[in-house]
Amino acid sequence: MTETEEKADPPAVMIEPIDISKLDPDFREGIRSMPNGEELSACFACSTCTAACPIANTWKYKPHQLIRMILLGMREEVLSSEEIWLCLTCFECQERCPQNVRVTDIFFDCKNLAAEEGMIPDSIVGLAKELVDKGQLYVVTADWEREDMDLEPEVPGLSTEEFKTILKGTRTGQIVGGDE
Amino acid sequence: MKTVVSDPVLVIGAGVAGLTAATQLADSGIRTVLVDRLPIVGGNAMDLYKAFPTDDCFYCFEGSRTRPGIRKCFYRSAILDQPNIDLKVNAEVTEISGSPGKFQAKLSVGPQYIDSKKCIMCGLCIERSKSFSLPSPQCQPQAVIYDPELSDEGAKKAEEECPTKAINLGAQPSEETVQISDIVIATGYHEMKPVSIDEYGYGKIPNVVTQLELAQILDPNGKSGGALVRPSDGGQVKRVMMVQCVGSRDENYYPFCSKICCVYALKHANIIMLERDSVQVAVVYMDIRTYDRHERYYRVARDAGVRFVRGRVSRLEACEDGTLDIIAYDSLLDKYLKFNVDLFVLSSALEPPKGSAELIKSLGLHSASGFVGPADSISENAVVAGDHVYVCGAATGPAEIPESVTQARAVVSMILQSRK
Ligand SMILES: Cc1cc2nc3c(=O)[nH]c(=O)nc-3n(C[C@H](O)[C@H](O)[C@H](O)COP(=O)(O)OP(=O)(O)OC[C@H]3O[C@@H](n4cnc5c(N)ncnc54)[C@H](O)[C@@H]3O)c2cc1C
Ligand code: SF4
Ligand code: SF4
Ligand code: SF4
Ligand code: SF4
Repeated sequence: MTETEEKADPPAVMIEPIDISKLDPDFREGIRSMPNGEELSACFACSTCTAACPIANTWKYKPHQLIRMILLGMREEVLSSEEIWLCLTCFECQERCPQNVRVTDIFFDCKNLAAEEGMIPDSIVGLAKELVDKGQLYVVTADWEREDMDLEPEVPGLSTEEFKTILKGTRTGQIVGGDE
Repeated sequence: MKTVVSDPVLVIGAGVAGLTAATQLADSGIRTVLVDRLPIVGGNAMDLYKAFPTDDCFYCFEGSRTRPGIRKCFYRSAILDQPNIDLKVNAEVTEISGSPGKFQAKLSVGPQYIDSKKCIMCGLCIERSKSFSLPSPQCQPQAVIYDPELSDEGAKKAEEECPTKAINLGAQPSEETVQISDIVIATGYHEMKPVSIDEYGYGKIPNVVTQLELAQILDPNGKSGGALVRPSDGGQVKRVMMVQCVGSRDENYYPFCSKICCVYALKHANIIMLERDSVQVAVVYMDIRTYDRHERYYRVARDAGVRFVRGRVSRLEACEDGTLDIIAYDSLLDKYLKFNVDLFVLSSALEPPKGSAELIKSLGLHSASGFVGPADSISENAVVAGDHVYVCGAATGPAEIPESVTQARAVVSMILQSRK
């Protein structure tokens, strides 16, 4: 039958593919040249990192995909991904990787690069602001608890002023922006 | 049938496996008839350029160490100087009769236009006519070859002028029957020409080649002197894509894994990335099977920056400028990737060579996906194919050179043991 001999054409409508020539091969080399990146290229996409990760099941890009995207040079997508910030830094992926890829550390590097380009999620900026403004992340508020235990309301010797001064001079301080 | 030490052996196929078996049998004092259908010996290994696992010329493997003075091209001395080897090129076995231990083999030998004992490779005939050529400076026998299809006036002149009178254009094919006690099948493999796999455009688009064809482009003895150039126009290649498992692991072609294509694909990828100027290689694969020690090639390839894409090619389009637009599906990212490449290389299946089915049938052997299987599937002694019939090298199925050589030696030792 002639109908069955006719060959089906490939799909006519194709979602826009990722154009390899538009990606940034320097990104791979950039990450690789950092102290944590030496073994980056050893990744063979086994996805052990993703299997190990306690929270990646809710992520759009899984750890092995992020590493793969770094290798391909998908700079924009990686640095603007929320996953690198959602990482718990538990190091499970890194510990289990059979090729010694320092997955968690590489995500730190990505966060630093993203920060340099001002690509930090608002929630993280909020935290940083809290830290710089108050000199601590978790402010001691429940003084009555201390009173109940016959402790003075102020924590003796706790001074956040020095921290605030130091933090202002750091990159965290710069990211938050000096409001004084 | 009991055999005595001096009974002759027939070795079919003069690739690495057949050559190893023949030279070692001959060295042990056994008369060996070595038959190959091609005009020169060496088989597929002649076209490989650098060979894993040593990245050396294949002539330099292990066996050459036992022969003094020669590291390169030990087969040259082995074949020429070994009186126990009766080498028949351009020859085929047309019929095997008799019984195990007492076979008669009918050989049909093509016309011997050039007497290889006389030819001094002076090159005069090549200047006179394009019907003469030198396959390679190391070729065995050390002689030019003649193609009657290209014959012209110059060929006749060459015949007259040849300083050693090595040419006989009137040579006729001949037949002969040899008595042998054992048969060694070393018929190797053939790299499938993937013409029928439409989606890759092989045979229609000039810049789509197989790995064996790529090896010839990379060979410094080749036409381009080893420069990586496009077959279409000789232009410099800047981007290469390879596709694994073409015709292998595919029920429509060959169900088996061709076993070594991952290793040599990455061998080629590494040569290209590390030894040629700024060429980018991508490899589209389903699994990378660089078995046991060859894992090294995979590791080096990743370090060198070869782009690995797990998935398949979705679309391929030949552009006006000779390049190819390729869209590949990346199953790890669940994304489609678009590439533009100069050269598209297919890791095509390694299939049994022509005539294998007939040989297997005529000797009543077991077929293993078309290759020669072991006689006893329980002991799985890979080299024993039948009573007084042995097999070695890629004739057993896709195999690398070291494995082929090891099997050839196993065959020799079994034959010697059977004659004590
Ligand atoms: C692209 C590519 C790259 C490779 N690279 C490597 C590498 O780097 N390292 C490595 O170890 N291996 C490599 N290999 C594998 C290597 O080619 C084989 O291991 C080796 O050639 C097998 O040798 P063989 O003697 O068994 O078979 P072959 O080389 O196939 O020789 C068989 C011989 O038998 C002859 N023949 C066949 N049938 C008949 C018949 N009926 N009558 C008469 N003669 C016959 C043929 O003409 C041929 O000369 C590569 C293979 C390919 C395709
Ligand atoms: S575990 Fe290591 S090798 Fe495996 S995918 Fe993750 S980074 Fe790559
Ligand atoms: S360090 Fe981050 S990416 Fe790695 S396992 Fe923990 S949460 Fe997942
Ligand atoms: S002219 Fe004679 S000797 Fe010279 S290469 Fe040709 S065949 Fe050999
Ligand atoms: S060796 Fe690799 S390319 Fe060849 S058939 Fe096996 S998996 Fe496929």
